[in-house]
Amino acid sequence: MSTKLVVAIFIGVLSVGIASQSALAQPETLRHEDEAEHAPPSDPWEPFNQKMFWFNLRLDEYVLRPVATGYSKVVPEPARQSVGRFLKNLGVVERFANNLLQGKFPGAGQEIGRFAINTTLGGVGLFDVADMWFGLKESPEDFGQTLAVYGVASGPYLMLPFYGPSTVRDTVGMAVDGAMNPMNYFLSTVELIAVRSGLTITNAVNSRSLNLQLFEDVDRYAVDLYGAVQDGYLQRREKAIEE
Amino acid sequence: MTRLPVFFCKLLTLGVLAVALPAWAADSPLDLIRSTTERARAALQDPALQGPDRGQARVDKVREILLPQFDSQELAKRTLGSYWSDRTDAQKKEFTQLFVQLLEKTYSGTLDRYNADVKFFYDQERIEDDFAEVDTRIFDPVQNRTFAVNYHLHKANGKWLIYDIVAENVSLVRNYRNQFNRILSKSSYEDLVQTIQAKLKQLSTPSPS
Repeated sequence: MSTKLVVAIFIGVLSVGIASQSALAQPETLRHEDEAEHAPPSDPWEPFNQKMFWFNLRLDEYVLRPVATGYSKVVPEPARQSVGRFLKNLGVVERFANNLLQGKFPGAGQEIGRFAINTTLGGVGLFDVADMWFGLKESPEDFGQTLAVYGVASGPYLMLPFYGPSTVRDTVGMAVDGAMNPMNYFLSTVELIAVRSGLTITNAVNSRSLNLQLFEDVDRYAVDLYGAVQDGYLQRREKAIEE
Repeated sequence: MTRLPVFFCKLLTLGVLAVALPAWAADSPLDLIRSTTERARAALQDPALQGPDRGQARVDKVREILLPQFDSQELAKRTLGSYWSDRTDAQKKEFTQLFVQLLEKTYSGTLDRYNADVKFFYDQERIEDDFAEVDTRIFDPVQNRTFAVNYHLHKANGKWLIYDIVAENVSLVRNYRNQFNRILSKSSYEDLVQTIQAKLKQLSTPSPS
């Protein structure tokens, strides 16, 4: 099912995109005066999102943070950064495809080059020697960004249980990126679920352990935590799409 | 003889330029960010200001260096967005003071984590009339990570002042505006003030960590 779904979405997206490419070019100004009139984010499902946010906060407080804290005490930071790089290296197919779909051919080449170098010389992706020795920077594109480039609006803000902040567009993007993963073709459904959840949990604990202070800071300094997290996510996504 | 005044004019022009150029250069947004950061860094490393009991003195010294470089009212105004114009002059003043206190509490909490090996990179500046942006990076050796920090400045009364800081692509002003607007759209300005005051009180108690 995944191949057909992906193809169908690609075709749909391409046809929408060709019509709306020109809408993307907007003049850049250093005044940032438009900001004050910047419409607040679309959040019609706020009651649902609030509940999911509360759920995620409790999940973080009672499970993720304690586990990540313990893990960070046992595993030194450089090793944890290596784990993060290893997991990231596995996502090469999605990034390659999304660079191509956005017409970023050098980016697609960089991703292939980085995968080849980091998987071999970088010890199965534990070290980013592609950047350190060859200056090959990552070009992290995902399908949510591809949809945005083709003019698909973000849709309402959506707080996903376990995954955290997202939008309708980015949630669709995440599903499509998941479908693109080559593991789908090698593993049975049961194996796939096991491997996928294993990787997702490892990634969650690992990234959380690298951001212990950041979470604490946001929690401590935010006047309205829901609004701070929502805006932080949306601003970062906006910038990622712009690039 | 007729050439002499011309010579003097040239000399005078050169002299004026020689005096004016460094002054102009010192006023560039990038130089302002660099000199302010370096002064704050020197204060943090000042032997007289070391030790846990000198914490408050360190915060005060850094505030003295940083605060004049910010346009507090512009910051406060931009965080209230469309709600700013509905405020009375007294409320505008009150809110600006409150917001500055909030920022102070936020930065003073992070000062204790400063480490002498942190590296600052001042990459570039863009100027467009009275507005400017300065791109910098901060390398933290403890986390072995580099953070992008971008400053937004504007010229007020001939001096460049900071009105926003964008850290890792998140604008401080926009982030606070989203928080404040959510409170303002559901409740009232008075409620927002109370919420910020409660936050300030909470931040005055030592961090649980």
